Order: sequence, then structure tokens, then C-alpha cells
Amino acid sequence: MAKYVKIFIAIILLALGVVAYFWFMPHRDVQATKAFAEVEAADLVNEFITNRTKANQRYLADDGDSKVLVVIGIVVDQFKDQSGQAVILLKTNTTDQMGVSCTFTEETNTQVAHIKIGDKISVKGVIRSGAEIDKDLDLIEHVVLEKCAIIN
Amino acid sequence: MKKLFLSTCFTIISVAAFAQTKLTTNTGHIKFFSSTAVEDIEANNYKVVSNLSEDGTLVFSVPMQSFEFEKALMQKHYNSKKFLDTKKFPKAKFKGTISNISEINLKSDGTYTAQVVGDLTIHGVTNPVKEELKLTVKGSKVTATTEFYIVLADYGIAFKDGKPATNIAKEIKITANLDYK
Repeated sequence: MAKYVKIFIAIILLALGVVAYFWFMPHRDVQATKAFAEVEAADLVNEFITNRTKANQRYLADDGDSKVLVVIGIVVDQFKDQSGQAVILLKTNTTDQMGVSCTFTEETNTQVAHIKIGDKISVKGVIRSGAEIDKDLDLIEHVVLEKCAIIN
Repeated sequence: MKKLFLSTCFTIISVAAFAQTKLTTNTGHIKFFSSTAVEDIEANNYKVVSNLSEDGTLVFSVPMQSFEFEKALMQKHYNSKKFLDTKKFPKAKFKGTISNISEINLKSDGTYTAQVVGDLTIHGVTNPVKEELKLTVKGSKVTATTEFYIVLADYGIAFKDGKPATNIAKEIKITANLDYK
């Protein structure tokens, strides 16, 4: 083949490679990512209640791949969301107003079977939004952690 | 005896007065869908928090980074500063009321069409909305479903020609399913 044809084909393959890389880019593997911090549920909640802007700045990322955290707390509630994933609500003290809501994945849902209300556990997941007491809406919002797994 | 009777009456009345039904969910589901000649884009969020009160007050909060797309790159673009800027505006909120609440009995099984009026805030911009919500009451559970459209430009989300302008519709379809208890 003429030299130019070979170069042309190489460029086309490279371009296809680049397109394929972006098209099939996998979502970040949260469990394989090193945790940014290990926190008690109440401490994480308080960071947002004290200074929401500062906490959002610290924990959220521009591209959505926000900080991976390990949260320690007592299981106060357990249920499923509408996609069938297990959700656990962790609080440091059962009387705390807000806690950290942890949503599991298809791969980690089975871990929840061994858990019961009152257990103290550590959960690793990615933070999606912070705790908030919205006085205008009269709404209490827990911290939202997703892609979770129990790690103790 | 009279004192005990009166104090019991007051206790019952005060408990009843404060026991206004406030239905709540933190597993609400919202899906958004955009269709263009180039491609269809869909994302799902299963972390919607909402309260529905007996007096018709309806509020919800949506953690924006909980919207999941099939394509990782699409999810990154959606969260970025150029688009929804979710780090700066991590939650979308709605505050409104059901204007025809007098025609609806949240304690009686059945299906009702609610007229909802309120303010929707996305990307830091608030717009008034007026939409219909279908309420299905079954025992202690109330399910609210709705489908409506929003224009991205109305919320300060506009983009120049080229990608992603050609790939994202100017009008996005929002579908919600709120499972109250």
C-alpha cells in the first residue's frame, strides 16, 4: 500500500479509538477509589448545617465525581428505593434530627441482609448532596451517599 | 373527677390539632428525557425528598448529582459548570400548593387529579409552574405521578451552537413518581 494510504488508515483508527474511549468511558468505581475522609455521621451533618457553602465546596466535584467518604453510624432505618436498591439511614445518636442516607448497588445490596436496626457500621460511598434544614420548605434533608458498601 | 375529665379532653384535642397529616418520602423518583435527531438522553434520580401536607402544601428537593446517565461522559457534561453546574447548585427545589385540595381527600382511597401551583428553582433560577398531578390514595400510602416539560433556557441553561446544542433538546420532559407514606 502507498505510504499515504497507511498513514490515512492509521489516523482513522486513532480517531475511532478516541471516539470509542469517550463513548465507552466507564463510570468511576467508587469502591476502588481511596476515601477522602472517614467521618461520624453527626460530624458530616454538622459541617453542612454550620456552613453549607463551605461544605459543598469541600465535598462536591464539578463533574459529579464528588468525594468518596467512609461514614460511621448506627443504623436507624432500612428500606428500598424505587430502583430496588437497599437504603440505610445512619445516625451517630438515634435522637439526631438528621443523618446520612446510604444507597447500595446491585452488587452490594446483599450486604444489607446481615444488618439490623441498632448496628454500628462503617459505610463507604460517594456523596451527592449535604444535610439541610430548609425552613422555607419545612423540609429536613439527610446527607445523600450513593454507590455504597459496608466496610467492616 | 371533673378535673381528670377536662384534662383528658384537652389532651385529646391538642393531640388531634397537631396531628395534621404530613406525608413524606425520601425515595421519590424523577426522570428527565431529551429527544433530538442526534440522540435520546435519559437520566434517573431515585433520591427525591418530598412532603405533602393535608392542607395541600407540596414541596420537594432533588439532589442534582444523584441523576444517573448510562454514559459516564454524558453525566460529567451534565454536572459541569457549562451545564447544570451541580457543585454550585446541588439541589433543585419546588414549593407549591394543590389549589383544589378541597376536592381531594388524602384519607380516602381513590384517584384524584390535583392542580399544582408553585415555584420551581433549578440552577439558581426560579420560575412559577402550574401542572397537574395524579394522586392515588390506597390506605396509608399516597402515590403522586406527573409528567411535564421544562425549557432549559428558562433556567439559565443555554448553550451555543454545536455540541451539546444539537444533542440536547431545548425542552426536557420530566416524569415524577413520589411514593408517600
